[in-house]
Amino acid sequence: MTPEYYILIIGFTFGFYMAWNIGANDVANSMATAVGAKAITIRQALFIAGILNLVGAVFIGSHVTDTIRKGIVSTEILTDPHLALIGALSALLAASLWVSFATWKSLPVSTTHSIVGAMVGFGIMAGGVDCIQWSKLSAVVLSWVISPVFSLIIAVIMFKIILKFILSREDAFQWAIKLSPGFIGLTVFVIALSFVFKTPLGSRMAIGTPMALLLALLLAVGFGVAGKGLLRRFIKDHRTGVEEIFRRIQIGTSCYVALAQGANDVANAIGPVAVIYFLVKTGTVGTEVPVPVFLLFFGGVGIASGIAMAGHRVMDTIGSKITTLTNTRGFCVDFAAATTVLLASKLGLPVSTTHAAVGGVMGVGLARGLEAVNFAIVVQIMVYWVLTVPASAITSMVIFKILQFFL
Amino acid sequence: MRIPFVSMFMTSPFSGLEEHAEKVKECAWIFQHAIECLLVQKCDSFEELRKEVARIESQADAIKRRIRGHIPKGAILQVDKFTLFRYLGEQDSVLDALEDALNWISFRIEPGVPEELEKEFLLLVDAVIDPVDELSRMVAEARKYFSNYSENQRMVVKKIVRTLREQEHLADEAEDYLKLRIFQVETDPITVFHMVRLAEIVGSIADHAQNAGDMMRAMIAR
Repeated sequence: MTPEYYILIIGFTFGFYMAWNIGANDVANSMATAVGAKAITIRQALFIAGILNLVGAVFIGSHVTDTIRKGIVSTEILTDPHLALIGALSALLAASLWVSFATWKSLPVSTTHSIVGAMVGFGIMAGGVDCIQWSKLSAVVLSWVISPVFSLIIAVIMFKIILKFILSREDAFQWAIKLSPGFIGLTVFVIALSFVFKTPLGSRMAIGTPMALLLALLLAVGFGVAGKGLLRRFIKDHRTGVEEIFRRIQIGTSCYVALAQGANDVANAIGPVAVIYFLVKTGTVGTEVPVPVFLLFFGGVGIASGIAMAGHRVMDTIGSKITTLTNTRGFCVDFAAATTVLLASKLGLPVSTTHAAVGGVMGVGLARGLEAVNFAIVVQIMVYWVLTVPASAITSMVIFKILQFFL
Repeated sequence: MRIPFVSMFMTSPFSGLEEHAEKVKECAWIFQHAIECLLVQKCDSFEELRKEVARIESQADAIKRRIRGHIPKGAILQVDKFTLFRYLGEQDSVLDALEDALNWISFRIEPGVPEELEKEFLLLVDAVIDPVDELSRMVAEARKYFSNYSENQRMVVKKIVRTLREQEHLADEAEDYLKLRIFQVETDPITVFHMVRLAEIVGSIADHAQNAGDMMRAMIAR
């Protein structure tokens, strides 16, 4: 066997490990509010998240991936296949190491930003500082501020609307039923648009913006009307009715986030693996590489097994710590996060669902929706967001130098 | 394990308030027992009950400190932080007054409450226990209001606040009547001083309960 095959095996191992970590770390993003608000049980959450992540990865995940995630480094450095091979491997290794360090230390980091940072490290080593697209990198920096702030604003507005038009009304339940098509429709609208704009399957379908808007609008109206009918039929208890209505909408948003996460994040793990695979097979690589379905499946299984094995610990903590979250609040957080991710990716910012969700919780807290929220912790969380890029970049640089010595 | 936004959720101060209110209620019961015991001719357990109240009071104090100590600077609550602390302070004063009353009695346990004043004294005690009992219900109902923000639920809390005010008024009347009777039936200056002071301390229990109600009214204001 040539060294290339060894590299491929190591690449696969670390790709799986990275996927495992994505599953373990990010399952909280999709399911935390649902579990915290007792919309679903921990077991249900893990099951749903595992299945939907796998489905998302295989069926919606991209069959083509950028050689370098988010185009942060110019592709000129890839002209030398040998260098590219070492680079892809060191980036993958560095990102995996940082994410697993974060998992071990329980630090909330973005897996996307880890791989971006690792690519920057490799880029600096291979092509010098000049080959880094600083404007693209500044978009990453911008996203640290924009995604939480944006999500915060949406969450505040959403909760205030629910408060004013439903909760504080004397006949809250009737109003909730009456307005439910609005909330269901809005949610479906955002989900449908995210699906078209954000997931790789959506971009394969190549639907134009006006058409997508029209489609989403139609779906929203349809689901809204149908949803109202179903809610009226199935929810009878007027005392808990309002929360019950939002419980059902919330389950929908959680499922969507799980699906989208599988579709989008699988590339963080298997993108570099695909580059290595392609290099070993053909010897060259362009700006994009095809991703075979078996690789997507491989990544999806990695994410699902991460959820299955480590997700329980995450969910236990969430279930016991978030005790005061109700379905209306959970809905606001989920809706704010999903909308932020949609709008930001439409603007071309590499946002992380984690960051958006943190902003959503802050927003509901500011709108006085939560009994007690600690804002001081946000500063700490942000430090790790910022640390992610340089930390994985430096690790990547070190690994690159070591590998270059051996290979 | 630290998970993205889990660390943002803190223990709600309302759990502590409820716990504290329960301690107050518990003390009120023991206080009532102690007074009944005192008025019975042969009372052995008064001292024991007094110590029990002191013990619970120190537990409640620990809860109070825990609530205050667990609200960091960056915390955002549903209610204004200072109103919450003042509410807690008033609720704690109810407990202090209960303890003070028993201590004051114990300083002059021998003649105790003169037989002619027993009826009026018992009326006063009953009048101040009612608002104290209402406190724990008020906290629980307020917590419900903050979780559903329902206008009906706000009315429930407002009604309790109003009840507290009315009960405090009744307690005031009972206190005044007891004082009046003290001067009518007693001539011994030491007994008069002891009884008047006792009436004031017991009366202050209802005052603090009403103040707590006023703070609650401020907390649920829209």
